[in-house]
Amino acid sequence: MKEILVLVFAAASLTDALKEIAASWEIAGGERIVFNFAASSLLARQIREGAPADVFLSADEAQMDGLERAGLVVPGTRRSVLSNTLVAVVPKDSALRIASARDLAGPGVERLALAEPTSVPAGVYSKKFFERVGIWDALAPKVVPTENARATLAAVESGNVDAGIVYRTDAAISKHVRIAFEIPAAMGPAISYPFALVKGAPRETEARRFLAYLGSPAARAVFVRYGFLVKD
Amino acid sequence: MTLSLEGLRLPLTSFALELDATLSAHVTAVFGPSGAGKTSLLEAVAGLRRPETGRIVLSGRVLDDAAAGIHVPPRERAVGYVTQDDSLFPHLSVAGNLRYGAGRGVARKAPFGEDRIVDTLGLASLLDRSPATLSGGERRRVALGRALLSAPEILLLDEPLSGLDRPLKERVLEHLLKVKAAFPLPILYVTHEAAEVAALADEVVVLDAGHLAARGAPIDVLRDGTPGPAGRSIAG
Amino acid sequence: MSEFAVDLPVVWFTLRVAALAVLLLAPFGLALALLLARRRFPGKALLETLVSLPLVLPPVATGLLLLKFLGRRGPGGRAARTLFGMDVVFTWKAVVVAMMVMSLPLLVRTARVAFEEVNPRLEAVARTLGASEARVLSTVTFPLASRGIAAGLLLAFARALGEFGATILVAGNIPGRTTTIATAIYNDVQTGLDGRAYGLLAVSAALAFGAIFLSEVWLKRRTNA
Repeated sequence: MKEILVLVFAAASLTDALKEIAASWEIAGGERIVFNFAASSLLARQIREGAPADVFLSADEAQMDGLERAGLVVPGTRRSVLSNTLVAVVPKDSALRIASARDLAGPGVERLALAEPTSVPAGVYSKKFFERVGIWDALAPKVVPTENARATLAAVESGNVDAGIVYRTDAAISKHVRIAFEIPAAMGPAISYPFALVKGAPRETEARRFLAYLGSPAARAVFVRYGFLVKD
Repeated sequence: MTLSLEGLRLPLTSFALELDATLSAHVTAVFGPSGAGKTSLLEAVAGLRRPETGRIVLSGRVLDDAAAGIHVPPRERAVGYVTQDDSLFPHLSVAGNLRYGAGRGVARKAPFGEDRIVDTLGLASLLDRSPATLSGGERRRVALGRALLSAPEILLLDEPLSGLDRPLKERVLEHLLKVKAAFPLPILYVTHEAAEVAALADEVVVLDAGHLAARGAPIDVLRDGTPGPAGRSIAG
Repeated sequence: MSEFAVDLPVVWFTLRVAALAVLLLAPFGLALALLLARRRFPGKALLETLVSLPLVLPPVATGLLLLKFLGRRGPGGRAARTLFGMDVVFTWKAVVVAMMVMSLPLLVRTARVAFEEVNPRLEAVARTLGASEARVLSTVTFPLASRGIAAGLLLAFARALGEFGATILVAGNIPGRTTTIATAIYNDVQTGLDGRAYGLLAVSAALAFGAIFLSEVWLKRRTNA
């Protein structure tokens, strides 16, 4: 009998939490889950080009909106359960003293890594925040755009940039960065992770089941443990 | 001039060239079948090959001494080497080729000027031509002129008449005789044709599988019917 | 599809850094080609393999090695900081280095063949005519190999223009600073700006076509000894 796989396209920031959730799902008898982790903008693009994804877990509403407008989301399956906060991180051995966003504009920070601010959710959120605080113009020349939030993390870990903006959940799993300051949810943009079933999903029944599982108390507990905020 | 080859040993593909001889004629022919080691001998005198053992001394100047580790590089040897395929520089004109070594000629206060060489070899009309457009005989003469213009102390000619048809052979031979007459320059002339030996050489040295098989005046050596394949070329 | 457009500043930037890369690469690459063409020495096979590696390794793998070396914590990066007070990664300098490394094999291999095709007899005769090694190189070897060398340089340039995998790792994709034609296409595709992507694709194809075509013509009309 051919093994059934559910193909899940998910934002990079969900990597570790999802892997754990999928493992428990499979142990409990669920179908095998195969993940494609990348920036939500890239994933949305791939789905638009016909990638055979069953489920899309996006890091921002805009990407999901785009797919919905293109008729690629199964109506009634879209739910936004998770949220996150942004943090500024520096390499663990950095001597820089950064306590607030304004410090990022200072001369000590030559390079600031962000996920691509025009398309990748983590970068879009960061830019919105900096615009709101009024320092985006000062920061823009220092920005080194990266592929996604995890790439930002890697850039900071390598020491090739002075600081980076990532999700709090990303900072939590890294041993080579430390958090310089956190952008409180109230001050930052509203981060929201919409989940939905992709229209024409090859394995619709199984995908629906997994999607439902993602909203279960067991899955939520895992998300919370990794630092995500659960909306209710 | 005296060219001394003392205990010379040059390993080749299937045998070694071993010579011990002193050559002092105006034109010395090195005669023997193909593969006897004649070209390698010229290359050694020109400094393009290093002997395994032995010495090469030209007019008292040591060019090679294997035991003492002496090897004078080609550029300092003042030899004029005309290869079997002329080796004209295809990207230079005839004039460019001729003058390539002339700097050294001027530096050494060349006894023969450019005009004389061009005249003797009849090169005046060819100066602006490209080597690719020349006939076999013309190329040969340009190669000869080029070597002469670099004021060599000895001229090394590797089968200069090979690959030419009969009438051309005669013409180039004429030029060679003119060169011999016009320039008091020792010439080492490699060939496997007895007729050329007879026409040009004052002395002939016969090589067979890397060894000196005979030497002497052409009349004596060739008439004796030298042993081996060399003998055949006289008969045929 | 978004509007068809050609991002000229990006094209111009790419042409400039690629030209600089080839210019800096040429002396080293040609010397290497000459060495491989003329000399035998222990370890030659190893050197040949190393030189050919960027041709066969996935470009991102080469990019990773470069990143480790040129990053702030790597030996190259640290040297650049101490000696010149500058960073290499995430600047146009890293783009140049990535292009140089990726183009090296093409230049060396093409130029090597060109040098090997120069009849060594001609060089030998030049020496007997009194030419120094430098004069032999400049008046015989290089002129006779010139078409092949030019073809090699052009191929190296074309390769540099198209370089992506190593560049994106080591220089990132910083608009206005390190964005090349290739990385701009990648970005435009990701952000849905297909019109711009196609514009750059057209330019890229035209440049590549021109370079390869010219290179082939030159290779066919090599001077023979």
